[in-house]
Amino acid sequence: MRQQGIAIEKIRDALKASVFAGEVLEGEYITDIYASDLMSDVLAFGKAGSLLLTGLNTIQAAISAYVAEFKGIIILRNKMPDTEILTFAKEKHLFVLSTDADMYEACVKIANIKGEVPVIENITETTKKPGIITTHTFFIDGQDFASAGIVSTQVKSILKSIGYDSLLIRRVAISTYEAEMNVVMHAKRADVFLSASDKEIGVIINDEGKGIENIELAMKEGYSTATEEQRAMGFGAGMGLPNIKKNSDVFKIESKINKGTFIEIIFYVK
Amino acid sequence: MEEVKCTHRWTMIHVQTGFIITENCFQCNKTSTYFCAENNPPLEEHREGDHFWNVMESAQSIQFDLECDSCHTIVSFKELAGLMLCTGCDEKCKVDKLRKEFEKDRIWIYIACGFLPVKEVKPFSQEKISILEEYFNQRRKSSNSGIKIISYEMVDCLKNCYAEVIKDVGLLSLQVT
Amino acid sequence: MKLQEIINKLTLNVLTVVEDKDITGVFISDMLSDVMSNAQSGNLWITVQSHKNIVSAANLIDISAVIVTYNKKVPEDTIELANRYHVVILSSPLATFELASRLVEAGIK
Repeated sequence: MRQQGIAIEKIRDALKASVFAGEVLEGEYITDIYASDLMSDVLAFGKAGSLLLTGLNTIQAAISAYVAEFKGIIILRNKMPDTEILTFAKEKHLFVLSTDADMYEACVKIANIKGEVPVIENITETTKKPGIITTHTFFIDGQDFASAGIVSTQVKSILKSIGYDSLLIRRVAISTYEAEMNVVMHAKRADVFLSASDKEIGVIINDEGKGIENIELAMKEGYSTATEEQRAMGFGAGMGLPNIKKNSDVFKIESKINKGTFIEIIFYVK
Repeated sequence: MEEVKCTHRWTMIHVQTGFIITENCFQCNKTSTYFCAENNPPLEEHREGDHFWNVMESAQSIQFDLECDSCHTIVSFKELAGLMLCTGCDEKCKVDKLRKEFEKDRIWIYIACGFLPVKEVKPFSQEKISILEEYFNQRRKSSNSGIKIISYEMVDCLKNCYAEVIKDVGLLSLQVT
Repeated sequence: MKLQEIINKLTLNVLTVVEDKDITGVFISDMLSDVMSNAQSGNLWITVQSHKNIVSAANLIDISAVIVTYNKKVPEDTIELANRYHVVILSSPLATFELASRLVEAGIK
């Protein structure tokens, strides 16, 4: 059965929105609207195929929408998205629209689009098979900004097909994404090893590169080594290592200067 | 011709979103705050002369000016770090005494905070405080309640003050909870 | 429209003492700084925020009531402060967008 939803074109027209990223709107539908300014909620509860309605004009909104597999974001109150957001959105094929409406006005106008169209899911539900163990290996090339994020997306698909809890999958996804970004920005290449069982999910990122000079410093919130150029490309605003630690149950890190960094993260399956 | 004094009707203009950064120097324990309008405020430890600043908090907030609709006078509030509601945490504090006095009429006491350290910052003028108070009271559509604004200099002990600050912390956190 | 009418029509959960009043409109935001600059007196404020500083933001602007969505747990100290300062806090299991749609259906502008 075909999945229905609200056409993004209709939303654009209803809100008289400007489109900043996303060339073809025709034939594009969204299945849900997530109205929020709290990004951790978007990450935890947002459903794939949704549109984020937010007053937050920051890269974190774009990253959250991306990891939650949204179709795009609508920024409210005529705020103009900057280069960092747009570059990121274009790489990740996210729509970015801007409207002068405020959150309630936007909700009203969208709700009035011919009444809401009921969504018919065409994804078959998978039940978790007990005791399943699966392992996968991936490779990341350093400096390959265009592909950055592909590994965490693949990890997410694998975990979804096994049937893990969506909150757990999100935690693994954002952690893997952060680690992947670090490799692309700072290392030459990396091996990523995923192992998933009914007790825990483990991700190992073993990179070859310059290593981390001061791990304690790198673990401090807000510490960033992203260059201006990298920021302009849409990177560097992830919270990096501290965020990987916060989202995981076990976090191990080792690094050798001029050799590379080894990160192991474990998530317990409840 | 006699000049008619304008009864100002205020509107908030030049609203700028940004962050109030709170830093602490681990050498001398001094706390300092400032407003940063950038999207990605610098949060690293940094050295400035004898001070070694560590960021304690980064909270989203706004800066604004007020303009009179009639006479177009513009009053800047760059020195305003934020507003907080007095919750009556210390009986001995002058602010709490005010709170008790006004709450029966549903007039809520808000404290206008300037940046820290208090001693190094220009103090609020009473005129500006009155204008700010006037603005928020004018914004109210019912007369059931009102607000009174006082300067943070009136607070007995700012370090131990439990007033509720209007600010946003953690909205940008990418931690899945 | 009156607050009590909205509470009834949308079967909102009441967490504090309620005083009936006129609703002037709806304001949705999770940013308290946004409330300070853009909310209007008498508005219904919809948010996921439940920290007690929502009482501070609500009273500065004279918000009619705060509706916390997604059944987010509102801590005891927020409710206590709200009652002391006559701020009405309601809650709904609905998502913010869904609640907004229901308000539209109920006839709020």
